[in-house]
This record gives sequence, C-alpha cells and structure tokens, in this order.
Amino acid sequence: MLSNFFVQLMNGIALGSTYALIALGYTMVYGIILLINFAHGEIFMSGAFVGLILVTVFHVHIIIAFLGAMLFCMIMGVIIEKIAYKPLRRSTRLAALISAIGVSIFLSNLANLIFGANPTSYPPTKEILFPVKSFELFAGAQVTNLQILIIATSAILMIILQYFIKNTRIGKAMRATSQDYDTAALMGINVNKIISYTFAIGSSLAAAGGVLVGIYFGVVKYNMGTLVGLKAFTAAVLGGIGSIPGAMFGGIALGIGEMFAVAIGLSSYRDAIAFGILIIVLLVKPTGLFGTEIQKKV
Amino acid sequence: MFKHKQLFVLVALLLVAFIVVGCGGKSAEKSGEQTAAGDAIKIGFLGDLTGDTASYGKNTLEGMKMAAEKLNAAGGVLGKKVEIVEADHRYDKAEAANIVQKFINEDKVSAIVGDPTTGITKATAPISNGAGVVQLSAGSTGPDVVEIGPYIFRNTLLDSVGGPATMDYIINDLGWKKVALITSVNNDFSVGLSKIFKDAILANGGEIVVEESVQDGDTDFSGQVSNIKAKNPDVIVFSGYYTEGGLIMKEVRKQGMQDIVMVGGDGLQSPTFWELGGQAVEGSISYCGFSPEQPTDETAKFIEEFKAKYNKDPDLFDAQGYDAVNIIAAAMEKAKSADPKVFRDALAQTKDFPGVSGVTTFRENREPIKSPVYLLQVKDQKWSLLKKVPVKMD
Repeated sequence: MLSNFFVQLMNGIALGSTYALIALGYTMVYGIILLINFAHGEIFMSGAFVGLILVTVFHVHIIIAFLGAMLFCMIMGVIIEKIAYKPLRRSTRLAALISAIGVSIFLSNLANLIFGANPTSYPPTKEILFPVKSFELFAGAQVTNLQILIIATSAILMIILQYFIKNTRIGKAMRATSQDYDTAALMGINVNKIISYTFAIGSSLAAAGGVLVGIYFGVVKYNMGTLVGLKAFTAAVLGGIGSIPGAMFGGIALGIGEMFAVAIGLSSYRDAIAFGILIIVLLVKPTGLFGTEIQKKV
Repeated sequence: MFKHKQLFVLVALLLVAFIVVGCGGKSAEKSGEQTAAGDAIKIGFLGDLTGDTASYGKNTLEGMKMAAEKLNAAGGVLGKKVEIVEADHRYDKAEAANIVQKFINEDKVSAIVGDPTTGITKATAPISNGAGVVQLSAGSTGPDVVEIGPYIFRNTLLDSVGGPATMDYIINDLGWKKVALITSVNNDFSVGLSKIFKDAILANGGEIVVEESVQDGDTDFSGQVSNIKAKNPDVIVFSGYYTEGGLIMKEVRKQGMQDIVMVGGDGLQSPTFWELGGQAVEGSISYCGFSPEQPTDETAKFIEEFKAKYNKDPDLFDAQGYDAVNIIAAAMEKAKSADPKVFRDALAQTKDFPGVSGVTTFRENREPIKSPVYLLQVKDQKWSLLKKVPVKMD
C-alpha cells in the first residue's frame, strides 16, 4: 500500500512537471499582456512533433532534437504573437482571446493535415536515450530512470527561468512590464521586445514539455495539445495566474491529484477531478494559491 | 414602418418556403428517376478513414471494393453493376449519423455496410432501420446491436463466442488464473466485452485481482499500471482498442513487468498495436474470425487475389468487408430484388454462407454464428496462429 503510494506519487510528479512547464507559458503571457494564450497547447503539440521529426527524419541525437524543438517553437511563438495578437493589443481583451482560439484551431488542423489523425509513436526510449530501468529507493518504493530524467529536466529548466527572471536585465524588465505596462514603457523599456521575449521563453518551455511527454508516454497526436493545454491552464490558475512559482506548484499539484484519483480507482473521473480542483480553488481563493490581490490595471 | 417590416419578413419567409419546396420536389423527382433507371446497385460504406479507428474502416472498404469489382467482372448483381458509395466519419458519432442520412436520402443506397465498431453502429442503426434500409455491420461485436430492429444485421465473430473461448484457453490451458482486467470506459465495445470477459473468467475458475479503467484517447497509463503492478497478476486482459493496448503494454514494460502479456478481443487487431507498442506487445494474444497467416482451402484464393491487388496481407476487416458485400449480393440474387424491403427476408435466411472470414449462418434474431475462432499471438511483430477453436452451434 505504502509502496504503491510512493510509486503513484512519482507518477504524479513526472506528469505534473510536464504540466508545470506548459503552465509557465500561460502564466507569463497572462502576467504581461493579460491574454490567456489558448494557442499555447498547440505550441506544446508542435514541439512534440518537431522533436519527433528531428529524431526520426534527421537522425539527430535526442538532446539536439530537444533543443531544436525549443528553438523552433521559440520562433513560432514570436511569429504567432506578431501576426495574431500584436495588431489587437489596443482592442478589447475578448478580441485577442478569440484570435488565440483561432490560432489554436488552425494549428491543430494543420497538424492533422500534415501528420494525419492516427497517433504517431516516438522511437523506443532505449534507442534514443537509455533502456528504462526501475530503481528501488526503499522497500517497494520504485522510480524509473525515465521519470527521474523528466523531473530533473523540468526542474533544471524552471531553475534557469527563475534565475533569468530574477537576475537579468530582461527578466527585470519583464517583471516591470507585468507590474505596469504603461509606466514600464515610460521608463524606457521596449515593451514590444519584452512581449516577444515572453512569448519566446514560454513557447520554448512548452516545446520542452512536448518532447518530454513524447519520450515519456511514447506517442504524439495532432490534438494532444487541447486537453493538456487545458490542464496546464488549470494548473496556472490553481497556482495563481501571473505567478511563476504558482504555475510550477500548480502543475505538480494537479499531476499528483490526478494520479491519486487513478490510484484509488477513480480513473474514469481523473479529468473531472482535475477540473473539480480548479472550481474549488476558484471558489475558495479566486486569486489562486500563490496569486496576489487582483490589481485593477487601467 | 413597423408594419412594413413585418410584411417584408412574411414575404421573405414565403419566398424561402417556395424555393425550398420547389427544390425538394425537383430533387425527389430526379432521384426517383435515377432509381427507376437503376444503372447501379448502390451499397454505402460507413466507416472511419482518418480517425482513431481508421485502420478498421480503410480495410473494410478495401475488402468491399474488391468484392464489388469481382461481382461486376462476373456480370454484376441482377444484371446491374454494384457501386460502393464511400464516406469518412472520422470516428465521430454525429458525423456518422449525417452520413447515414445522406446515404438514405441522397444516394438512395440499397444497403449500408458498416460501421466496423459497435459504438458507431449503435448510433446509426436506428436511422437505417427507421428508413427500412438494410445495415450490415462487418465488425461490431458488442451487445444490443441487432436488437435495434429487423433491418440491422452483422457479420462478425461475436464477443459472446470468442471472449469465453479465449478466457477458457488462458485460464485452463495456460494456467493464468490471476487476471488484471482493464476497460476503456468511453468505448461501448470495451464495456460490453469486459462484462463477457468477467463472466468467463469467473466461470473458468479464474480470479480478477485488480480492475482498472482507462479512456480512449488517453496517453498516460502510469497510474493504472502502477496499481496493476502492486497486485502482481498473471495476465493483463484488456477489452479496448489497439492504440491504448499498445501504449498500456509500453507502460507495463517501462514499470518493470517484463514477462506479462496482454490478452484482448479483436479490438487489438491492427498493425498499430505493435507500431505503438513495439517489443512490449510481443506475446500478446487476441481472438478473431480470420487469420491470413493460416490459409485454408476457402481463404487461400482470396488471400492470393488480395495480395495481388493491394500488395499486402488482408486482415480480418478486409475479409469481413469482402464477405459483407457478397452476403448482401447473394440475398439480392435470391430475392431477385435490390429493394431492401424485399431482399431483407432472404438476407435473414442466410445459412452456411461460405465466406472468407468463416462460415456464416444468421440466427432468427439476425445474430451470426461463425466458426472457427482463431486465437492469435504477436510473434516478430505480426499475428501468428496459436490455436483454432471450433464453435459449437447451439
């Protein structure tokens, strides 16, 4: 019983850390331009496919493919922002939101056209990385090397992000812009550039999540971004949308919550439970667990 | 001003009504002529060509086209050419219902073959039955399908025959008594088959040590597999489809269970099973009514011709699609009519039809009895014959 508890905990953290990577993109973009970027789930899907193509068609090493997918989606995120959101920046928030949903539908249908509706398999882990092995940490408590890799990679990316936001000039400019868009612009910050950086970083993290999910679950599909995107969005709201540590915590909490639902035999309700958590959090603490007071932005 | 507006709306509405009525009348007349002229007997193909169950749909269609070609080369049915009308519902129930409406109202088909899945068949059969058009599903194996009405038939090895035969074999012959049962809860076929498996496991003295549920479309099975691992079963019985089956086995190997295999229904019958599962599905067992690896006198010729035409081995769905068209054609010849209201009775009386997917007899309730059951096992990334079990007619 206890060993199964630990195994499910590790399953939950591995799943949750991929949610967290994607949730960061939602939260960062929202923090700066108050837009829920619904195309973000599709960027995650694109990252997974780009990684797959780099490995299977161009035969590059998985680490190169991982970085390649991040770079590709970084550019893709910036282009999407320039085409679909920038022209609408001064219109109502609803207009940008609808534009985001449009981009999301477009990308998922494009992927359907290119890759077909059948799920595509990632190459076996032992061919691209290492043979998957279970380790016993203590009596019956097992974890696989693949799970450790997923969790460690996500953790490293999040630490780098945290350092970047806290300690670099661009990071400081980002935080300033998210606090007050107009004042930041008056202080000489090139706001357009900061927005591009935000999309670039958020999208590359989603791509990293995509490749990790591809390796971990072994399968990618054109519509994989929709549900995972919604879950990551839930994670971002759970942690407090706009808050970076909140997104990390929210993702992992959601992953663990979902996995314990499966562990106690409620697997048919795992999605319901994930979104149920969201509703409860919104009722009890609308700003999310790490969210600050809602500030009226004028 | 207001009055003017109302009048305008009324006139506009009337105009639209006239146009609609006019068009409706015209098109009805036109299609009436077509049927009367009767240059072809139309059979609709209802299936999925690009969605989750595309590999069933595509293969059924290949078999149907081949049957129609052969019938036409031999002079057609009742002196008319057989034409297969195809559509793709992408495994979407609403789309499938639209397609069946179109088959009946626009194409005026004599019969519909499909869908290969139980879920879509159950969603669409009430439409065909209500319109008095024969719908023959070449593949749906779950419960409560032919009960929908007198125009609904199916030709496939039933789960209620194949499921118990398979459980009997793994429990009594292989000695796998501790079973982990997995059901895909948003899949009608899987839910129905799990019930059959469960009864058969208990009847044969097996024990279900853990029951898990998944959903079609899931990709993360780590939680369910961890639960299964904790109970240490002898075998994993999964009643769902090949996509989830392959992924579940991949997760099973990842979590360190190296020897256990999956046993399932003919929902696992697709190359996608090992394309996704790879080495993890080696040794997995499934049952079906047709095995290309084991040609018999009746199937050898079909397999050879199919290979020459499509340059690959036919599978169960190819064979069932092929048989479905031939069974309908035989009934039309016998009734001397392509009107579904007439040839339905002849179809219902089909007895010992020597198809390539087995010998078919329709019972009084339009359920098929097919013999034999093939137990297949994945070896070197394809199905090979494990055992051939004859079916007792009751």
